[in-house]
Amino acid sequence: MAQERKAVIQAKNLYKIYSVGESKVRALNGVNLTIYKGEFCSIVGTSGSGKSTMLNMLAGLEKPTKGEVIIGGEHLEKMNENQLVRFRREHVGFIFQSFNLLGTLDARENVALPLTFRGMPKKERLAKADAMLNLVGLPKHKDHRPNEMSGGQQQRVGVARALVVDPEIIFADEPTGNLDSNTSAEVMGLMKKIVREQNQTLVMVTHDNHLAGFADRIFHIIDGKIVKIEDNTGKRGDEDL
Amino acid sequence: MKFRDLLGMSISSLWRRKLRTILTILGVVIGTASIVVMISLGLGLDKAQMAQIEQYGGLTTINVRGNEGGSSGYYMGGGVSVAVEDVGSSDSSEPTRLDDAAIEVLSQIENVESVAPMLQTYVIGRQGIYEGQFNLIGTTVEALENMHLELTEGSSLPTSETELKILYGNTVVSDNFYNSRNNEYYWENGNMPDVDLVNDPLFLIFDSDAYWNSKWGGTDENGNPYKAPKKYVVESCGVMAGGPEDYSSSSYNAYCNVEALKVQLKKIFKGRVIPGQPQTKAGKPYKEIYYNQAEVKVTDMKYMEEVQEIIRGMGYYADSNIEWITQMRESSRSVQAALGGIGAVSLFVAAIGIANTMMMSIYERTKEIGVIKVLGCELPNIRNMFLAEAAFIGLIGGAIGLVLSYIISAVINMVTKGMMYETGVSYIPVWLTLTALLFAMIVGMVSGLFPALRAMRLSPLAAIRNE
Repeated sequence: MAQERKAVIQAKNLYKIYSVGESKVRALNGVNLTIYKGEFCSIVGTSGSGKSTMLNMLAGLEKPTKGEVIIGGEHLEKMNENQLVRFRREHVGFIFQSFNLLGTLDARENVALPLTFRGMPKKERLAKADAMLNLVGLPKHKDHRPNEMSGGQQQRVGVARALVVDPEIIFADEPTGNLDSNTSAEVMGLMKKIVREQNQTLVMVTHDNHLAGFADRIFHIIDGKIVKIEDNTGKRGDEDL
Repeated sequence: MKFRDLLGMSISSLWRRKLRTILTILGVVIGTASIVVMISLGLGLDKAQMAQIEQYGGLTTINVRGNEGGSSGYYMGGGVSVAVEDVGSSDSSEPTRLDDAAIEVLSQIENVESVAPMLQTYVIGRQGIYEGQFNLIGTTVEALENMHLELTEGSSLPTSETELKILYGNTVVSDNFYNSRNNEYYWENGNMPDVDLVNDPLFLIFDSDAYWNSKWGGTDENGNPYKAPKKYVVESCGVMAGGPEDYSSSSYNAYCNVEALKVQLKKIFKGRVIPGQPQTKAGKPYKEIYYNQAEVKVTDMKYMEEVQEIIRGMGYYADSNIEWITQMRESSRSVQAALGGIGAVSLFVAAIGIANTMMMSIYERTKEIGVIKVLGCELPNIRNMFLAEAAFIGLIGGAIGLVLSYIISAVINMVTKGMMYETGVSYIPVWLTLTALLFAMIVGMVSGLFPALRAMRLSPLAAIRNE
């Protein structure tokens, strides 16, 4: 079954080594992984395990010391910064832990921001942002600034912003790290629902085993190495749909 | 990313930090205003000088005189030029003189608009007990027209080429006439000589040597007393407008038609040498009357030096205001540079202010810059966003600074009105306005460049980092 699906992300023999003074820290120590289209994966590990480095590498925010990252057939490790920016704009959506909405813009404009970078006309991009905000359940907060919304609402805007560009992959870095547990569950549910509906690929990094459990597959990472891959597809697939 | 969206984002982030933006703009306002006002003072000085030069006979006139071979020519009085240098470039012994043919040759030179011959003679005028010696200059009607003289009502230019009529300058009487009883001039005792040049007849004596000789009772080489020369009643055709103390380059002269003057002189000095005219080795006069001087009008100031050189190459003396003007311009340019430099210091301080504001802004927005990088904002767009912010500060500051400059300039001119120059002490031309605006904007962008590049190079990882 898994072999038939299309691989969206492939990491081959990935190393990231930081020099701290004389000593060298291996943040990633030979990671291989494959993520398929339409999959919801989570990468779990304690802090310092290399999970964030892993995400940065996959999203093209950092260059690996050694190894390959292939996304949609393109080698990220060979791109320069301009190409990476263009790649992210066209193929990737991001959800941040601290939401990272722009304080000067209201919810609608925040969601439309990535479209602005694509050069989409104002009317068109605001209409798209409207639709996205309806989808994440914030039809009444479109004109609100980030400081007029709760954390959960802000993260919904964040989710909408990640989805609005219709990305092939969505990366989420501790998306519920700043939320209480009830809201966390809500946001997780929302993310999962939308990803399913739109058949999108979501890669989430977290240190919380419970939250990681929402995913189809769970990569456990310790000291820069993937030690265990849990597959929930069979167990939970029906229940979630 | 569309340019409009980019500007929108720049403006909104300036708007977010209103107070800081306003303070930074204030720096640019002061900088721009001080530069513009300082330069406007220099330009006002320049303008006043040009007006002054215009008064002294224009910027496009070359005075040409004949060259009597080695010597510096014959006596020249009351020339209209104010020359710094008097350079004759010809060392040939062959004298060059100005006759009608020479005038024609001069008028053929490229970029020469017109050539006016000038025949000048000293005459003595008498009316009642008042007597005065003054310069009578014969020239063409066109030349007189080009002088743009202001005439009193009822006056006209001496157009007749046969009958001698004289146009008097407005200070001829106050400058040159004296009471023959006590030999006192107007400028000595303040008593205006009672001379009416228009309505009462004025006796003119052309042979002034003979007049003085007879007056002081000398004798010629044969021991006979000098005969008093004949007096002629010459009609006037007008007087220039202006009071007895309104001096200009033409106010103390009398003008007449050059052809009529030639006719008159030939009649008076039949066969004798006319004073001021060259003579043959045998002491005989030439058949023709030579002009003392010719005024060559050049089409544009930029051809002045070129034409002047050509004329000098022909063996004439040629001088003009151009050397003086060049010197004056150089000195006023250095004054301008000094004034502008003072202003530039404050704009420089403002530029540092802009750079500082932008740097602060970038430190504050590190995370935001990271976010838009992660979301796919192209690097040049990030740079341009910050450049646009800095340019806005410059542009707005420059615009307000200009308004302030105009106000300051108006106040300066109002306060100093009539103190120094008619034209005003401070003068802001259109080009200065536009240049200042552009300059302020460029200063903004240059000081924003380093912060903008820094913003562009910030790592997108800053956005991911969780604090």
